[in-house]
Amino acid sequence: MTDHQGYRELAAPYALDALAAAERTAFEEHLAECAACRADVQAFREAAAALALAAPAAAPPPGLRERVLREARRGRPLAGRRTAWPWLAAAAVVVAVAASYGYWRERTARDEMSTVLVAMRARLDSADRLVGAILDSTVGTADLAATGKAPTMRLYWNRARGLVVLAAFDLPPAPSGRTYQLWAIKKGQNPVSLGTFNTAAGGRAVVTLPAPAGLKPDLSAVTEEPAGGSPQPTQQPFLVGTWQGI
Amino acid sequence: MTARDDRALGELYDRHGATLYSLAVAIARERADAEEIVADALGQAWRTASQFDPGRGSVGAWLATITRSRALDLVRARGRRARALARAAGESGEGLSAPLAAADAPERRVERQEARQLVGRSLAELPEPQRRVIELAYFTGLTQTEIAAELREPLGTVKTRMRAGMEKLRDSLARLLPREGP
Repeated sequence: MTDHQGYRELAAPYALDALAAAERTAFEEHLAECAACRADVQAFREAAAALALAAPAAAPPPGLRERVLREARRGRPLAGRRTAWPWLAAAAVVVAVAASYGYWRERTARDEMSTVLVAMRARLDSADRLVGAILDSTVGTADLAATGKAPTMRLYWNRARGLVVLAAFDLPPAPSGRTYQLWAIKKGQNPVSLGTFNTAAGGRAVVTLPAPAGLKPDLSAVTEEPAGGSPQPTQQPFLVGTWQGI
Repeated sequence: MTARDDRALGELYDRHGATLYSLAVAIARERADAEEIVADALGQAWRTASQFDPGRGSVGAWLATITRSRALDLVRARGRRARALARAAGESGEGLSAPLAAADAPERRVERQEARQLVGRSLAELPEPQRRVIELAYFTGLTQTEIAAELREPLGTVKTRMRAGMEKLRDSLARLLPREGP
């Protein structure tokens, strides 16, 4: 069993996992240097994998799904959740949209998977940043309210991460050419701009802004300013609140 | 696990659970064992998801490979291989895979049913001796040498049948199943 043709005949049983140990070892050494045999093995592997579909159909018991989820909850992905679950989720989504016969779609699936993966990673990262900035024992908060009814706003100041998260409710979007601007105010000093923002049509906004290092404001306030913002407030603030725990 | 994790894994289960469970039952022949195998296999897939390489095959093939391997491990660990074999041998002619004409349990997904039919048809086209050695290798994990002993056939005969059968299977599946998108 030293010639190439001899090895070539091992590709099918190798893909079926049916070679005795010594033969398997020898063939794997040959595979390392033979692209033709590797291609053979790949093709036979696809055929072998399809045999799973030849098993007589058996209906899983109703409780199995919950058991799978329960047991998975006990074990964390080895590579870290952040890398592991998007792969699985992306794979599930891609298979769901792409494949009638999942076994023969590597190329399509690979392309779609990377697209989905990138999108999911980006979404996950921004969600992680947001949640991480708020759910922290060292985070200070301020509730801002108008003198009349709505709108309202809650701010989170995460000193460790240098982030301010702003959540606005019932605040109509700023008129065309105008923007909202958030200020941090230390008593006896000029207001410091934390950045500009706008709300969506529903009057809501959740915005993460960089927090100036070393600043410990007593108050925050929101004004309406010309688009692009102003160096100092040009109007009376319509939302004002006191910082707690900062 | 977060709620999002649950959803992702739930989708995987909804998609592949029935196929994996059927495979586990076919190998382990005990439903209680099959449940354990599927839970273990999906747990393993979950923990090692970063090792999944889409270039080497589909998610379904990857999960099936893990499930088959866990099922064979369990059968071997319990020394039940002899029993499984005896039963398999007792089903002469019928084989270990689904008879083509048998009505499947209600399938949630038409595509899986179609894929099953294509694979079943491809297997059914094989001469019985070729199909038999392939099924013995896949569903009982026997090597060619062990299959030869089991069937009391010369090793060379088993090798020839397995290779010829796999070549036909590969060719008919490649012909039947489109390689590109839907």
